[in-house]
Amino acid sequence: MRKSIKVAFAGNPNVGKTTLLNHAAKTNLKVGNWSGVTVEKREGFLSYKDYDIHFVDLPGIYTLEPLSEDEWIAYNFIMKENPDVVVDVIETTNAERDLLLTTELLEFERPMVVALNMTDEANKKGIEIDSSHTKELLEIPVVKTNGRNGDGIQELLDAIIETAEAHSTPKAVKYGDQIEEFLDKIGEQRRNGKIDKHTLLKLLTENDGRNGEKTKLEKFYKKDIISIIKDERYAFANGLYREILKKKKSTARDITDKIDKIVLHPILGFFIFLLAMFLLFKISFDFSNPLMNWTEGLINNFFSPLVSLLLTKIGASEWLLSFFSEAIVGGVGFVITFVPLIATIYFMLALLEMSGYMPRIAFLMDKFMHKLGLHGKGMIPLLLGFGCNVPAIIATRTLENKRDKLLVMAMIPFMSCPARLVIFSFFAILFFNNPAVIIFSLYLGGILIGLLTAFFLRKTAFRGKLSHFVMELPPYRMPRMRIVVKIVWVQVKSFLYRAGTLIFAASVVVWVLLNTPPGIKNQSDSAAAYVGKAITPILRPIGINDWRISTSLIPAFLAREIVLSSMGTIYSVNVPNNKPDFHFLPAIEEQVNGFGAAVKESLLSLFSPSIKTLETENADSGLRNVIRSSFTSASALSFMIFLLLYTSCLATVAVMAREAGKKFALVFLGYSFVIAWVVAFVVYQVGSIL
Amino acid sequence: MRYRFGHSRGRTPVETDTIKTYPSRTSLKELQVGEAAHIVDFFNPDEIARKIEAMGLRKGKKITVLQKLGRGILIKTNNSRIVITSDVAKNIEVK
Ligand SMILES: Nc1nc2c(ncn2[C@@H]2O[C@H](COP(=O)(O)OP(=O)(O)OP(=O)(O)O)[C@@H](O)[C@H]2O)c(=O)[nH]1
Ligand SMILES: [Mg+2]
Repeated sequence: MRKSIKVAFAGNPNVGKTTLLNHAAKTNLKVGNWSGVTVEKREGFLSYKDYDIHFVDLPGIYTLEPLSEDEWIAYNFIMKENPDVVVDVIETTNAERDLLLTTELLEFERPMVVALNMTDEANKKGIEIDSSHTKELLEIPVVKTNGRNGDGIQELLDAIIETAEAHSTPKAVKYGDQIEEFLDKIGEQRRNGKIDKHTLLKLLTENDGRNGEKTKLEKFYKKDIISIIKDERYAFANGLYREILKKKKSTARDITDKIDKIVLHPILGFFIFLLAMFLLFKISFDFSNPLMNWTEGLINNFFSPLVSLLLTKIGASEWLLSFFSEAIVGGVGFVITFVPLIATIYFMLALLEMSGYMPRIAFLMDKFMHKLGLHGKGMIPLLLGFGCNVPAIIATRTLENKRDKLLVMAMIPFMSCPARLVIFSFFAILFFNNPAVIIFSLYLGGILIGLLTAFFLRKTAFRGKLSHFVMELPPYRMPRMRIVVKIVWVQVKSFLYRAGTLIFAASVVVWVLLNTPPGIKNQSDSAAAYVGKAITPILRPIGINDWRISTSLIPAFLAREIVLSSMGTIYSVNVPNNKPDFHFLPAIEEQVNGFGAAVKESLLSLFSPSIKTLETENADSGLRNVIRSSFTSASALSFMIFLLLYTSCLATVAVMAREAGKKFALVFLGYSFVIAWVVAFVVYQVGSIL
Repeated sequence: MRYRFGHSRGRTPVETDTIKTYPSRTSLKELQVGEAAHIVDFFNPDEIARKIEAMGLRKGKKITVLQKLGRGILIKTNNSRIVITSDVAKNIEVK
């Protein structure tokens, strides 16, 4: 018989809970070097020996007195869900701090395992915790782990099983004699079953001692009951720390402090921030561009003719061939071309998150943010928004104040995500001489609208004093390439998955509607055209006067990239079909050589100081030329602005509804549409005059 | 063995004072960059005070101010670095 065990990972923020769980359950849950990465309950499963282990990863929490929403999630789980084993993850270098939570967890008198993580850093710092002594004192397994390389995971798993099997509970925590005496009395008053210390203390604070125990204690200690309990816990945690600390060198100056002297310098720090952002953009473009050109070639000059050839060989019908070249190559293939860009920008963002620089941006920017009535800590969800708006919105759970939370949430959708970058990079290169400037301005424009929105809300619905904040800054950590690559892979995989499902489905629907009713000669008589033409009047003032674009915008509400795949599908019909002779072997050779050249060019681009790829004109493909004929520079710009500002993303709207309510999400959606339209209108009208 | 550590003596000295600390009582907000002090008490022991205590800023701990930017103050204690705003800092009494 296999047994199942439910295991919860609890601990202070950023101590490596998710990292350990990823090792143990072989999951790819998100990690990052800052506090508040995990903001929801996440799970992993493992079959190990005779057991099915169900792991639950919890948000980090400093003490069982939750303030923010993510802390509540961890708290509620520990309180109510009764996991079979709680793994208390401790950052060895910060054990003194972490032991408070350990003490609070011990009060539950439930099966528990301690993981002393980050032993590698502790060794470097000369800090050692006596794990066997800790084990003796607490009577629970204590395992040393290293999340960087996975050392100790095996032992941790065995300890979990052993604890679950024996159902062994830790030795009861003992506080001061006085308080213990009163707790005993309360315990006696309710002799129905065993009461753990946590509940007893709770009864005490609620004045449930039947003989006025609370008042007596407060009189004795001359302080309120909350302070009494708090001080007892600290005394216990402190004593425990002194008991188990084996050695500690006098702390040498550490590297993080040295880096921070420069990076957080009031003036220098600001320039370093700008430099970091510039590099993020430059590398995202320059590195990915040669690879993107190669991918485009691979799809159009290799994959597409190859499959066409095969289809013709097996005698496929005309409509299947056109379906393939229009919906698959034109639609899905078009979007897949952008994978290198997506991968590179996520790589850069992962470096930002894994190094420890990200929360420092929040600290640097608070000076400006709070002038606008915003919270420095709110910077983190905003920065995450550049990766994807959806997790960014969930990340607002770490904000303690409801108003701050909604304020940040109303800004996030204006932070341009990679899906938008894909669209910008396509249109900016097609219509402008210096696309880098255009794209950069669009990003800034989004930020500006976000700030104005927040400013406006602060003056109206969300008035009130700006609340204080506290935030931990992690030490700098060298990102591990293996983890960074994994993070990028998770993102690329989800992009490809979307391409294979949502984008594919949208392309099919668009293609079918383009060919409905069957047998039409002219695309503009199709159902797709009919729908597009119906909404064109709304879009005409912003320069979009072509049903093919209006039609593409409708399915793009599912996800912005779909605007490209739909346009690809619609416009592919008009691409001249001059397929050159296709020979398999030479074609393969050409692709391989092309790949080598692209990689070389990508790597070389890293050494040039300016953003260079975006200066080159690469309008060789037929699809580009046909799409170009539908826009002017002014309408292309207004189109990009419209897609930047309008929340054309079902996932974002849905998650907003979940986190802030349906009404908020719908009002915001309407607002974003109006703002997008107005700004696009102004830009188009002005641009047309110039 | 009695299972209680509250008043036991440590096996190793936990903290050795080398940097000169602040001579008189003041609030953390008044400390300059580079100055160190010990936390004495919290003027207003509310939930935020309890949270930063849990984060490691505890009575008796030595803290060093690493940087100040606007209303934000970056302080270090043991191996953790914590940013608090000045309205929180003014409630922390240091010596
Ligand atoms: N040097 C070192 N780094 C580690 C170790 N374990 C985790 N890390 C790093 O510590 C950081 C935090 O790891 P996470 O697993 O995200 O921490 P967490 O406890 O889940 O954090 P929250 O979800 O924010 O509470 C990441 O940068 C990890 O790569 C370790 O044993 N040694
Ligand atoms: Mg986590």
